[in-house]
Amino acid sequence: MAVETDVLDELRRLRTRVPGLTGSLAATVDGLVVAHDVPETEPEGLAALTAAALGVAYRMADAAARGDFRELLVRGSHGYVATYAAGATAVLTLLAEDRVNVGRLHLEGRRSGARIADLVATRVGPGTGRHAGRPTPTPAPAPGPAPGPAPEEHLATAPPATARPIGTLPVRTPQRPTHPPRPQTGT
Amino acid sequence: MANTETALKECLSSIDGATAAALVDYTSGMALGTLGGSKDFDLEVAAAGNTDVVRAKLRTMEHLGLKEEIEDILITLNSQYHLIRLLKGRGGSGLFLYLVLDGSRANLAMARHQLRRIEAELEV
Repeated sequence: MAVETDVLDELRRLRTRVPGLTGSLAATVDGLVVAHDVPETEPEGLAALTAAALGVAYRMADAAARGDFRELLVRGSHGYVATYAAGATAVLTLLAEDRVNVGRLHLEGRRSGARIADLVATRVGPGTGRHAGRPTPTPAPAPGPAPGPAPEEHLATAPPATARPIGTLPVRTPQRPTHPPRPQTGT
Repeated sequence: MANTETALKECLSSIDGATAAALVDYTSGMALGTLGGSKDFDLEVAAAGNTDVVRAKLRTMEHLGLKEEIEDILITLNSQYHLIRLLKGRGGSGLFLYLVLDGSRANLAMARHQLRRIEAELEV
């Protein structure tokens, strides 16, 4: 099964577990949609904005010496937008109503982020995404075609960040931290 | 008047059999303070879960047309008691105290009485 289907299953399960959740989206850190369950919002725009917000969040965490990015919470007058790290290459963005149980949103969002990280890592491997050049704690497979078989998979076909044409990325790549990103494990 | 930290400390020290306590905001499901608990008993999880308990009861009362307020909620497990006490007045609305008691050591009547006193003295 393609990684998109697995991730979409995870997003659907998440929706049943968190009352007040109105949408969810898994994207790569450079703004490509992996899977989405957002009936009222355009997923591509949300994924691109997530990447942009993530760029700022990375730099903020780095500048304030708060370590690796974990999550980002935005509250509007009609609800919340929460973004959770899903490993080093993917992120999970959740949309929720104002009356949502934020404690539960955090718990389920973190767990789900860790699960999506596992799915993406096992299916695609750590060789894609913005942090491809960063050292990883687990040995990366030899450079070459990613193991993802389906040609339409975003993750497998995403070019390295350096090869991306100017103007297609809504985000600045933050400076590399001195420590390698630590994938979240399920807690 | 006691602050959150003092109130939680008093929960664990003055109530027999108390093993964990938390002050939780049930509008968000997040804990304002926690004390006790362990790796196996995550109070953040308890805060989020018991927020759903309180919200469900409030909603049920609304549907039943009851113009009442919840004073406390008791949940009896095989070997534990869980007490939820909603805060009243002085900016404490939307909050509850959550107390975990060891069933074999706790005196339920005394625990409820003490928790009422601690809640009355708590200033958030």
